[in-house]
Amino acid sequence: MSARRPTASLDRGTAAVLVAIAILAPLIFNTYWIGTLLTQMLFLGIVAASLIFLSAYGGMVSLAQVALYGIAGFAIGNLTTNGNTKGLNLGWTPLAAIPVALAITIGLGLLFGALSSRSVGIYFLMITLTFSVIANLFFGQVTSLSGFGGISGIPAPGFIGNVDHHPDRLYYLALVLALLVYALLRYIARTPFGLTLQGIRDDPVRMSSLGYNVTLHRTLAFGFASFIAAIGGVLFAYWNGHIDPATIGLGATIDVLVVAVIGGLSRLEGAWLGALVFVLINNYAQRIGFVSDRFHTLIGVVFLVIVLLSPDGLMGLWGRLGDLRRRGERPGQAPTGGSERGSGELEPTV
Amino acid sequence: MTENAVTPGAAPILRLRGVGRRFGGLDAVSDVDLDVGPGERRAILGPNGAGKTTLFNVISGDMPATAGTIEFLGEDVGQIPASGRSKRGMGRTYQKSRLFLGLSVEDNLYLAVLGNQTGHLRPFRRSRDGDIRERARELAGAVGLQGKCDALVGSMSHGEQRQLEVAMARAGDPKLMLLDEPASGLSRGERVALTDLLLELDPSITLILIEHDMDVALRVANRVTMMHDGRKIVEGTPDEIRANDLVHELYLGGRVAGAEEDGA
Ligand SMILES: Nc1ncnc2c1ncn2[C@@H]1O[C@H](COP(=O)(O)OP(=O)(O)OP(=O)(O)O)[C@@H](O)[C@H]1O
Ligand SMILES: [Mg+2]
Repeated sequence: MSARRPTASLDRGTAAVLVAIAILAPLIFNTYWIGTLLTQMLFLGIVAASLIFLSAYGGMVSLAQVALYGIAGFAIGNLTTNGNTKGLNLGWTPLAAIPVALAITIGLGLLFGALSSRSVGIYFLMITLTFSVIANLFFGQVTSLSGFGGISGIPAPGFIGNVDHHPDRLYYLALVLALLVYALLRYIARTPFGLTLQGIRDDPVRMSSLGYNVTLHRTLAFGFASFIAAIGGVLFAYWNGHIDPATIGLGATIDVLVVAVIGGLSRLEGAWLGALVFVLINNYAQRIGFVSDRFHTLIGVVFLVIVLLSPDGLMGLWGRLGDLRRRGERPGQAPTGGSERGSGELEPTV
Repeated sequence: MTENAVTPGAAPILRLRGVGRRFGGLDAVSDVDLDVGPGERRAILGPNGAGKTTLFNVISGDMPATAGTIEFLGEDVGQIPASGRSKRGMGRTYQKSRLFLGLSVEDNLYLAVLGNQTGHLRPFRRSRDGDIRERARELAGAVGLQGKCDALVGSMSHGEQRQLEVAMARAGDPKLMLLDEPASGLSRGERVALTDLLLELDPSITLILIEHDMDVALRVANRVTMMHDGRKIVEGTPDEIRANDLVHELYLGGRVAGAEEDGA
């Protein structure tokens, strides 16, 4: 019997083709695809990757990732706008605001992590959902930082310029960051920090009797994941030029969870795959008359179908298709579906 | 029985006084005094529910005692969490295997070795990791898992997982090893191999062994503590235990052969 690691991924050939397509995309697709759909897929994928990282390697399903991404976005907005909008209008140069926005988000992420790291399972889910609700209400009510109308006219750094005029610049920035985030998360998984996190995912009691500080480690992992989410939030602020509390509302929180589950909660690649499916459905459903205002019903149905077909999402489905192909058509060898452990790291394939 | 040198009068490595653990209205362990000397091989016997595992849990720090004091190497460790007791030299196995099922054998042992060292938070690899992995493969070899280093633990047989349990407890170079029914669910051949492994352990390591299998327990131990209903009722050499009527009535007569399969 063989089993697949959570890090099991696309084979090199497929990965190379996908990266090549992504690099050449501005030559293949029109500006609407680049500027709207694919850029959105990339930063949404980064946020979803922060969720999947915590889930696949830490066994923690966090609903606070969208709040953290929003905190980074609001920080950028407050620091860089200058004039006619809500918020502090501090008028910093965009590049100087980035490290500060990341630091604020990581700081709050560490605080959230410290408060939630003793909880597991449904309690962890509920506590992180509470953070997300608090963040949403906070930015709605604290008008000096945002208010319900939100912050408009957020400038992107000079090298990106006006996003409407040069959509491919922000696209390439998002692509480079997405690839770096992916590579970093894969690398971290094999370091002492990442292996310790996986040990805690599998058995926290054993880890503390081996000498590990489980709550500290969970807290730091949460802080690290908030750094990843913050990268997505900064990109969002540049992409949208505007941020308001609805950006981090309950709907958005659930959307990112849906992205992660559609892609596969146990595979990092699933973040971007899920984001692509989500963005495409979101976009094209609006154009089909009778579904346009029932977008959430449609995505709900897609979600259900995928989860029922494959509990570890499209990446799980992809893995099983690969197994089928390799195995040929030997009868009586139907692949077993799903995982017994929820996070999908144990997937019997024989 | 081994002739392990138990220096008479040497300060005990582990010293329990009046230790108790209460779950709601149930006294799982009550008023246990225990002195275990350096290098001693102690077996703890007792019927199901006697409180043996709970005693291990309070010694290792997996759960706090609700009464009494626990001294390890002369230090009161009652307020120290499990991770701190591990760093001071305790290593343990679990009756029901607690392994990292989503990781390979080598990664499991890597974590077990790293546990008592610094650098848990290091987010990059270094040459030192190679040494730890070397040690991890050595430990796997010592329990007959050398060919299985890359196997995912969740896909291994029960017997292999039990062997890995013992290797995990050894990985931190403990001064005191607590083994909770290491032979449970093993085949006869695997039991013999395990007993040999325990007999070959460095004699300076102190061993406390919970074991229902008398062949294993009495061969390895040079002193036996018998528990019943959370209390320590008899203590002596294996010969004294064999000859004790109370032990026969409670234990040897009641449940001997086959009883060791439980809890697996
Ligand atoms: N976490 C717990 N919560 C409540 N009761 C518990 C807990 N752990 C153990 N007990 C109870 O404490 C008593 C002693 O259990 P323990 O597991 O220590 O016995 P044992 O001697 O190890 O038995 P066995 O030979 O079956 O392993 C039992 O009655 C058990 O039900
Ligand atoms: Mg027990």
